Amino acid sequence: MTHGSIDELEAALREADYLPDRGLATALYLALALEKPVLLEGDAGVGKTEAAKALATALDARLIRLQCYEGLDVAHAVYEWNYPRQLLHIRAAQEGTVTESELFGPEYLIRRPLLEAIDTDDPVVLLIDEIDRADEEFEAFLLEVLSDFQITIPELGTIRARRRPAVVLTSNRTRELHDALKRRALYHWIGHPSIEREIAIVRLRAPGIPERLAVEAAAFVRGLRSLDLAKPPGVSETIDWAMALDALGRRELDAEVVQQTLGSVLKYHEDIDAVRDATLARLVEEARAASAAS
Amino acid sequence: MASGDAIVGHVVTFGRVLREAGFEIGPGRSTDAVRALGAVDLARRDDVYFSLRQTLVSRRDELAVFDRAFDAWFLRAPVQPASGEQAPEPMLRLVEGAASDGEDGGDEERDDDALEVGASGQELLRDKDFAELSDVELVRLRELIERIARTRPLRRSRRTRRDSLGEGVDVRGMIRRSLRTGGDPVDRPLRARKKVPRRLVLLCDVSGSMDSYARALLLFLHAAVGAGRGVEAFAFGTRLSRLTPDLATRDPMAALARCTEEVVDWGSGTRIGASLREFNEVWGRRGLSRGAIVVVVSDGWEREDPGLVGREMARLARAAYAVIWVNPLKGNPDYQPLAGGMRAALPFVDRFLAGHNLRSLEELATVLAGIERRHAA
Repeated sequence: MTHGSIDELEAALREADYLPDRGLATALYLALALEKPVLLEGDAGVGKTEAAKALATALDARLIRLQCYEGLDVAHAVYEWNYPRQLLHIRAAQEGTVTESELFGPEYLIRRPLLEAIDTDDPVVLLIDEIDRADEEFEAFLLEVLSDFQITIPELGTIRARRRPAVVLTSNRTRELHDALKRRALYHWIGHPSIEREIAIVRLRAPGIPERLAVEAAAFVRGLRSLDLAKPPGVSETIDWAMALDALGRRELDAEVVQQTLGSVLKYHEDIDAVRDATLARLVEEARAASAAS
Repeated sequence: MASGDAIVGHVVTFGRVLREAGFEIGPGRSTDAVRALGAVDLARRDDVYFSLRQTLVSRRDELAVFDRAFDAWFLRAPVQPASGEQAPEPMLRLVEGAASDGEDGGDEERDDDALEVGASGQELLRDKDFAELSDVELVRLRELIERIARTRPLRRSRRTRRDSLGEGVDVRGMIRRSLRTGGDPVDRPLRARKKVPRRLVLLCDVSGSMDSYARALLLFLHAAVGAGRGVEAFAFGTRLSRLTPDLATRDPMAALARCTEEVVDWGSGTRIGASLREFNEVWGRRGLSRGAIVVVVSDGWEREDPGLVGREMARLARAAYAVIWVNPLKGNPDYQPLAGGMRAALPFVDRFLAGHNLRSLEELATVLAGIERRHAA
């Protein structure tokens, strides 16, 4: 499925239960129009991974996800030979008539996400999640793959993409990525959403929760972000928290319930310690004022 | 709608404006920008804005400068100087030496000058205290410093390569060879883990009391960052500032100039504990210090709470592979670690070194190459 304009793509993403702002919709649209990978950076919980998932739904494409981690290598990202099967096959043949080409054929190949995304006829969204966690050596390899969209397996030859997958990379900025990789990709920084958008996102993802609760939760979390916290909460925390409050049967915020449930918004002990008593009471007051005003 | 040529003209000129502000914009980026503008509705300002931003900007810290340039160029707002243009002035100040700007001192730490100036009086450049170097000597030192900074400790990588002394079987190679013997794995090639440079994190105190050493140590930082990936550099004074992107340029003097700009608290008092806490909470939490060699360069003069220095050093030491503290004052044979921050930090330091002259930097390099983890994992 293709989308002829930013507006159309934006509508399709909404359809997939994702509310992008104009900048993100533009970034994803350009990634498709220019056939370039797009690098999404932003704090944890602002919806980078969700954006890729929504894009796959909007395009009616298969989402293939490569989760990066330190030590990720070709055997886990691209392909690996199925050694046990190869050994069994050699054993079964007994006479030594097994040829190398037979043994290193497609049926003994374990296909990992990158190969899967390239060697397919289906439309694909390839999500390379948290690329900043992978080793720099892997980043260099990835750059090669994203330049040519081809993978060489010594035993089988070169496999070229018959249609280029849409590629979304995400990074939490734990380290700076290589310039060459950045040059290859479009870059979009996702900030925290505006209060109106955040309320809309909460109501979309947690349907059925009282409007007042959604407004107050969003306003409270917004207040938290203005504090100097080690890890400011993202939209996903707002959603989780609003759902938790709803599950407790709350229709509005008060200091007591906020204190009890703060752990689903703030994930670090130091942050929870910093938001106590007076600060907490003030933020609750402001959140309630926000809902009264709206 | 503007014609194709007009768009190209706009993008090229706008690219030049950004380049002057310090952006790296090659022909590839400009081409992308033109293509992106071709794909969106030029009548919508936000679409034009995002198209250009997403093709021309690749770092979050460039966004503010981009926004200013965009407003100036496309909205004909009054042109404000981009922040990059302020660079030359601090550079002069830095290069011309700390001696000339004594007027912004007011540092009580100078009380201890008698102890601090550990000059040997020898004319040998190698043993000359960094605080006494002329600019010409500093330039001569540069090459030597770069050579030292290239030494990097190694760690074992997750990746392997074929190695006849390896500890693991190369299964792929074994299967291939077993074909010759009817499937019996007679020949068993081995693989061993590759060794790659261990991550190096440098935290450099650039506050008033360290001013005279900062020039030489920043050269060291620059050379270390240039020596390969996996090196991260931070400067701190009253707060912490990440220098890695600034030091990633080829020209150390330009990098020094950009450093002065970034570290706005240049030359003011020191909050070592607060800076370490910021490092631990922002960068350490993201895994930057895990398994790394952390080198803290500071004289240990803490303005505020030495207890905080101890607590944050303990956190740092838990995550890091090893912690080295470089204190230029240690170059003086009479030096005793009496400063509160220094005393609080020492229990968590694996190696305590001088770093006031070239010879001591060589010692640092030797230690870096062979350091073992001392504290319990």
